[in-house]
Amino acid sequence: MNYPFWDVPHIGSGWVIGIIAIFHVMISHFAVGGGFYLVLAERKALRENRQDWLEILRGHSKFFLILTGVFGAASGVGIWFAIGLAHPEATSTLIHNFVFGWAIEWVFFIVELTTAAVYYYTYGRVSNELHLKVGWLYAAASLLTLVIINGILTFMLTPGQAWLNHALSGREADFFWQAFFNPTYWPSLVLRTLVCVSLAGIWALVTCSRLDGETHGNLKTELVRWSSKWLIPSFFLMPFVMVWYLLSVPETQRELLKLGISTIGSGAFTQVTRVGLVIIMASATIVLVVYFLAWRSPKDFTFSHAVSVLLLGLVATGAGEYTRETLRKPYVVGQHMYSNGVRVKWVEKYNKEGYLKHSPWVRQDPSLPPAMAVGEAMFRGQCMSCHTRDAYRSMERLLAGRNRESIGNVLKILHENGEPYRRYMPPLVGTAEEIKALGDYLAAMVAPKTNAAPAALAARP
Amino acid sequence: MSSTTKASNVSAEGTGGEAVDRRVFVGAAMGAVGVCYLAAIGYPVYRYLASPVERAEAQAAVTEVTLPEAHKLPRKSALMFKFGPFTALLIHHEDGTWSAFNAKCTHLGCTVKYEPHNNRIFCECHGGIYDARSGANTGGPPPRPLQVYQVKVSETGVVVSKS
Amino acid sequence: MASLYGWLDERLGLEELLEFARHKTVPVHKHTFWYYWGGISLFFFIVQLFTGVLLLVYYRPGPEAYDSVRQITYDINFGWLIRSTHSWAANLMLVAIFVHMFSVFFMKAYRKPREFGWWSGLVLLLMTMLFGFSGYLLPMDELAYFATKIGLEMPEKIPWIGPKIASLLRGGLEVNEFTVQRFFALHVVILPLAFLPLLGFHLWLVQKHGNAVPPSEEAKPVEQRRTMPFFPNFLAKDLAMWLIALNVLAVLAALFPWQLGEQADPTKAPPPGIHPEWYFMSMFYVLELFQGTWGLAVSMGIFTLGLVLWTLIPFYDPDSRNGKRARQATWFGLVVVLILTATTILGYWGVYGKGH
Repeated sequence: MNYPFWDVPHIGSGWVIGIIAIFHVMISHFAVGGGFYLVLAERKALRENRQDWLEILRGHSKFFLILTGVFGAASGVGIWFAIGLAHPEATSTLIHNFVFGWAIEWVFFIVELTTAAVYYYTYGRVSNELHLKVGWLYAAASLLTLVIINGILTFMLTPGQAWLNHALSGREADFFWQAFFNPTYWPSLVLRTLVCVSLAGIWALVTCSRLDGETHGNLKTELVRWSSKWLIPSFFLMPFVMVWYLLSVPETQRELLKLGISTIGSGAFTQVTRVGLVIIMASATIVLVVYFLAWRSPKDFTFSHAVSVLLLGLVATGAGEYTRETLRKPYVVGQHMYSNGVRVKWVEKYNKEGYLKHSPWVRQDPSLPPAMAVGEAMFRGQCMSCHTRDAYRSMERLLAGRNRESIGNVLKILHENGEPYRRYMPPLVGTAEEIKALGDYLAAMVAPKTNAAPAALAARP
Repeated sequence: MSSTTKASNVSAEGTGGEAVDRRVFVGAAMGAVGVCYLAAIGYPVYRYLASPVERAEAQAAVTEVTLPEAHKLPRKSALMFKFGPFTALLIHHEDGTWSAFNAKCTHLGCTVKYEPHNNRIFCECHGGIYDARSGANTGGPPPRPLQVYQVKVSETGVVVSKS
Repeated sequence: MASLYGWLDERLGLEELLEFARHKTVPVHKHTFWYYWGGISLFFFIVQLFTGVLLLVYYRPGPEAYDSVRQITYDINFGWLIRSTHSWAANLMLVAIFVHMFSVFFMKAYRKPREFGWWSGLVLLLMTMLFGFSGYLLPMDELAYFATKIGLEMPEKIPWIGPKIASLLRGGLEVNEFTVQRFFALHVVILPLAFLPLLGFHLWLVQKHGNAVPPSEEAKPVEQRRTMPFFPNFLAKDLAMWLIALNVLAVLAALFPWQLGEQADPTKAPPPGIHPEWYFMSMFYVLELFQGTWGLAVSMGIFTLGLVLWTLIPFYDPDSRNGKRARQATWFGLVVVLILTATTILGYWGVYGKGH
């Protein structure tokens, strides 16, 4: 039982959140944009009296209902499970502060899921006006879910000075609205809305591509082109909104983007900028690929073409989420809590009185000798929220070839506010004994043969 | 736009002019994305090729070079050394004084050398002659004197700096 | 713009070219997707030319090889990116060529009159593998050194002449700076000189005969078959594919930069887990599998026979005409894919599976 520090072998707990989140973003943003797509397309079809359009849209709304109602909702709950396990401290902070926000959020969720189901099942069974109204209700409710969750997500990057001034006072929740409408709230909302609109077009292309271009040439041409147009707002506005967003991010976090892009460094040093560039490249490619494959020859636009556009969308959103998460480093809640759960204001106390003394959840492993168990507990508590032993940001790789002394030097830098690591890593906290125990443990883990590891450790898988 | 879609296009648009306008617009937008792509590939390639230039410019900004052990240079002899990216010449004269010059001949850029027996600086390429103390162009084709550097000698070495 | 086009057209006959390209058609059916893979292979080859020339700007063969690659990787701006792109594109190019070859095989595109396309393609594949092998040594880090050492054991095993060939390739009895120099000449002069004309020939044949259609499509009456113009339709899609390929390449090259190991040191024991690149793994595994003189004869026999059968497929699969699929050829292809995949996996298992 390793609660609250969840030891996920190889990928680390962060990537569990990451994988679920990227999957969820693809679908949830589609749920918001797709609502508008459906009603606007339906309105157009009704005005022009196009039965064939309505037929296609009905199929699309079924696909939409299943995708968002099942996979979107399930992956959203999955994020809850994952963050609760991977980062209980941060999750607890969010709940304490935003419990009311989440209550509002769930009201909109229920409205959203209900109207989506009603919309599909009343297709062709109620008057056109009523059906459109249901559609509009759905679109509004789904947009409102984004409006709410966006406040909580952006709070983690930029809590805002008002809230920070009262952090840990027990009165933080009084500053709910300041925390909610924080500095990155608006740019992020516009950015995500643009993504929603684009994804609506991309998913609609998947549906349109199933039409037979031979028998329904004109219909397919119209639908494919009309869906492609949903990429236009992003095409023009995205660059500006991205700049706006970056300008709202604190200077210290923006600095992360400047770390050695032209050098070969690996890890957080340079990865974030490169992934950031992937967003831009993948987005540009989506536009060009849609132009070449869909706009120019809509009749020949096949399902596999649509899937490749969708995959490019996945790459772009995945890179976007990764960049947003990494920009927060070394915090999980900006300027307030470090990514391993240590609060900024408690660092001094931990250094004086001991990290483990104040971390009742971090239990020591009884199968290890006492000195090792302290080091192992320090490792689990302070390193494992970002590092794994042997795979993603592997400690074995990062410390390879170092002896006990040089591992000690690394820990010393991390403990004493050393540049440049502290730009994206939390300080190592604890008493001198605790840090020494961590060094012994790491030395034994990295090179069990040379650094005299206890048998229990060397035998670990 | 292919011939197959043209027909449907005109019927959808009603007028041909609008379609042409839109085609121009779409073409321009795609061209813009293409240019962005080229820039994204071009920038790293340019920086890659310009690397040595950047290094050289950084070196050219050098204003001072320390030559450890150079104070042991015997009299009536010279030492060639690198001053940033440039070749330079340090001369220890017979009377114990020191001079340092940029060794690039002001005529056509050959590297000059010190001739102790003539007590002059000579350029092999076209026979340019300079004064060994001042660097003044005293004979041959060079149009200007050599660039002079300041020399400070201490117990540990020689420091050459730009004046 | 229009007048400039007119001026050029008058002198270069652009319109004729375009007219030709518009008349050239590409068949459209459910397997059209596979037509893009030749183009994707070509795209990666162009990337290789471009990045290779850029690397040539700083690379110094011979004793300084390692140091110059170290300089490219760590000192020169974006040098790591150029090198990483070159290495990744090499691997992706081989992936694309293999996909291209097997799709051609299963679509029976080697049938009359396209035999020379098949043969030139096979030679291009072998050359690409040689490109990969010779390029792999050039950085002269530990991995390159030992992988080349192991790789040269393959020609070493050819009866009678093998040792001689291997020594000539090495320029000595051990891999040394002469080897680097030789491989460099091979990699940047000899192979490109041989590759380019053959590639031109291969592309010209495609122009001449057009795209092959699979037997299932041939079975349809002519009026039911669909085509699209090569220009602009197919070309636009080709461009889209190239862009996607470029994205895949950029993501791999930027996020997983190709690393440089320690400098090769012949006196040190090889690090564990040394193996040839993945496209040689199957061959490597089979050679390891059969030991002794007879074993060698068996493995050599299998390779030679397989390669000969693979090359001569146009001759003994002539009757998949008019939609009749020659099932033997399809089965043979499936068996080859299966054997290659299985031996490659087993090879990796042999390298990494032990002691882990």
